[in-house]
Amino acid sequence: MRRYLWMLLCCALVGMMLSACATMETTQKPYKLSQQGTVIWNDEFEFKPPSPGWKLVQVEAGGEFGFGFLRTDPGEFPSQSMFVYDEEPFGCSTKFDDREEEFFKRYLWATTFNISMEILEKNKVQVLGGEGLAVVAEGKDPIKKEKVKSKVVFGKRGDRVVAFYLTQWRHIDGTYDPSAFEIFDKFVASFKFLKKSFYETL
Amino acid sequence: MEGHQRNLSLYERFNARVVGVSRDDVTTLKYWAKSLDLTFPLLSNVTGFFGNYFYVKPEPGTENYPIFGRRTVIIDKKGIIRYVRDGSPDFKDILLFLKKLNQEGGKP
Repeated sequence: MRRYLWMLLCCALVGMMLSACATMETTQKPYKLSQQGTVIWNDEFEFKPPSPGWKLVQVEAGGEFGFGFLRTDPGEFPSQSMFVYDEEPFGCSTKFDDREEEFFKRYLWATTFNISMEILEKNKVQVLGGEGLAVVAEGKDPIKKEKVKSKVVFGKRGDRVVAFYLTQWRHIDGTYDPSAFEIFDKFVASFKFLKKSFYETL
Repeated sequence: MEGHQRNLSLYERFNARVVGVSRDDVTTLKYWAKSLDLTFPLLSNVTGFFGNYFYVKPEPGTENYPIFGRRTVIIDKKGIIRYVRDGSPDFKDILLFLKKLNQEGGKP
């Protein structure tokens, strides 16, 4: 029988506040362009970048997402689209269906804002060389007169679940732009891992 | 906290266990754990004893009823504090440290 535990990791998380996301300030670009026109990110990921109208956004590890792209759309505030790759999406389960439930409990600050996300579509997909789950959802905030449509694609990196997600915010009377979803799908389809993750090599 | 939950199998691999400590009461912690699907123990320490014990500096202006910032502490099997970091947990750093500590101890 295995010997009982010999270490105790004690996490004194007294405040139990959720971690804030700090914007990363880098002097050196974390990416380079390949001859094929793809982006090599930190020698770890490769993907086809969106058109120049999309601005790069990134945060430090431990935040809500790793990096992604933001586009300001025409129309009344808050008209914008953003998609990201997230190594640590909300939730803990390694099963996609369970993770999806956990994820949407907290996605888009669901507990802070009164946006209840309604799942519109849920499909099994092939992503990152394996099986994944794609979910399309919409949320509305009648008080702020805003709405958001989102597509989340869960996939696996090793044993862990990773996610891509697109959010498109609009005024409550605005119309969604499907072109952003097409660009997002191309980004996801092109995404490759160039090396094993930290957790796979641990 | 979700980060620790995601890493439970890795902590187990390195013969470690995680415990969360908070000044919140038991009812609040039960709700918190349920909302995040946490399966590891959370300790309610409403008096703030743990914060003082681990020398966590209270937030300025809260000395009469101290509110403590986050601190991650790793204690080895002999009860010796081997790792102390303030702020949000750096999970990769924690895992690398546990791996090293586990290797130091040898296989059971």
